[in-house]
Amino acid sequence: MVDETRKNEVLEKLRNGVIQYDEDACREGAQEAVDLGMDANEAIFEGLVAGMEEVGRLFEAQEYFVPEILMCADALYAGLDILKPHCKQMDLGVKGSVVIGTVEGDVHDIGKNLVKMMFDVAGFTVYDLGRDVPLDKFVEEQLKTDSDLVCLSAMMTTSMVGMPTVIEKIKEKNPECLIMIGGAPTSKELADKWGADGYAQDASNALKEAIKMVAFLRKLREEKLKK
Amino acid sequence: METLGLKEYLKGEGATLVGVGDVTRALTEEIAHLNRGIAIAVNRSLNRTTVDLLSRLQDLTEGWLRERGFRALAIPADSDRVTGTFISRLYKLFSHKVAATCSGLGWVGKNGLVINHDYGSKLTWATVLTDAPLEVDRPSTVSRCGDCNLCVKHCPSGAIKGQLWSSGEPLKEMVAYEKCRSLKKDRLLLNGKPNCGLCITICPYSRNDRRKVETCVVCVGS
Repeated sequence: MVDETRKNEVLEKLRNGVIQYDEDACREGAQEAVDLGMDANEAIFEGLVAGMEEVGRLFEAQEYFVPEILMCADALYAGLDILKPHCKQMDLGVKGSVVIGTVEGDVHDIGKNLVKMMFDVAGFTVYDLGRDVPLDKFVEEQLKTDSDLVCLSAMMTTSMVGMPTVIEKIKEKNPECLIMIGGAPTSKELADKWGADGYAQDASNALKEAIKMVAFLRKLREEKLKK
Repeated sequence: METLGLKEYLKGEGATLVGVGDVTRALTEEIAHLNRGIAIAVNRSLNRTTVDLLSRLQDLTEGWLRERGFRALAIPADSDRVTGTFISRLYKLFSHKVAATCSGLGWVGKNGLVINHDYGSKLTWATVLTDAPLEVDRPSTVSRCGDCNLCVKHCPSGAIKGQLWSSGEPLKEMVAYEKCRSLKKDRLLLNGKPNCGLCITICPYSRNDRRKVETCVVCVGS
């Protein structure tokens, strides 16, 4: 049995490591969690993700700006890289796999990468196509991997116009697949018009949405453990 | 603010030059709040130990600023070679030349590199951006290359255009970089070392030539 006090110390270290964008602290905390034989999922959700939730709050309160968010994300990954190999498959009722990428003509991918991070954290299998991805590649990859989700990102109006084509093609072949779009030029109206299932305005909002999603999973997990 | 204290502190830790510039005009939205650029230079060429030293100086600067409740974003010396992290995506939004010229530590020479009056281009630069209200130095606004064209004449790829820089035209292209790059490629294949560095070594300021450019016109003519 893992010592409760020691465990809480490690979780606190991971949480603070993310909030204070201290990569070394996250790495140390993650290694301690592994050495202690702690549940890696718990370390991720109660430590790293809890920290990122606070970061989201600090951003909303305008105490953190974009550079801080990015540094926090780097710190989170530093811990995640160590904990990931020790994760057990979580049974939360979601079989998660997602195809994600920035559409053709667009090389802006900070937002896409932040969203990808939260999928990584949540234990999804992420097929990251990168940036400037040809439209057909999304369709192909979805069919190949049979992913539950496809996320399309664009920061420029000129590249955004490729989105409805992708949505249409995927929905035609696989109506069950959920599609999320995001990026500065997109809007809720456009998402509805094009038949997308979800929408996020920009990097920080996408992050917030993704945090909410992961926070929800975290709650599910807690409830499951109580039973 | 104790700006002088910070500068002395960093020099004591190994910095050759430290300056503070108002870099407002060069900032994009993501970093618009960080309107002070602290330019840190060491008089060594860009290699691993230099980068490590600058990175330590940046850590000290960040610590100093955060202790006082301010934000800091360090742009590493070799920012173009750092990839794969989230924060590295912001690095390309800011050029060390901006901090160096805004803090008056040099102008952009005909060779496209920052030239400092005492050290020429033989410096490696790093920047820390911050929102701390540090006292700013007087910026460099014009080139002091004068009529000197040594780097233009000696550039093996003919890439240097011979333009005079001024802070009012930050986007003026000083060097045809594709020419310089193609030479670098050839050199890399030849002996594994891409940089020829002639435009640095030939510069009278880099050679610490006391005649400097004012009188150098004579030696160019001869």
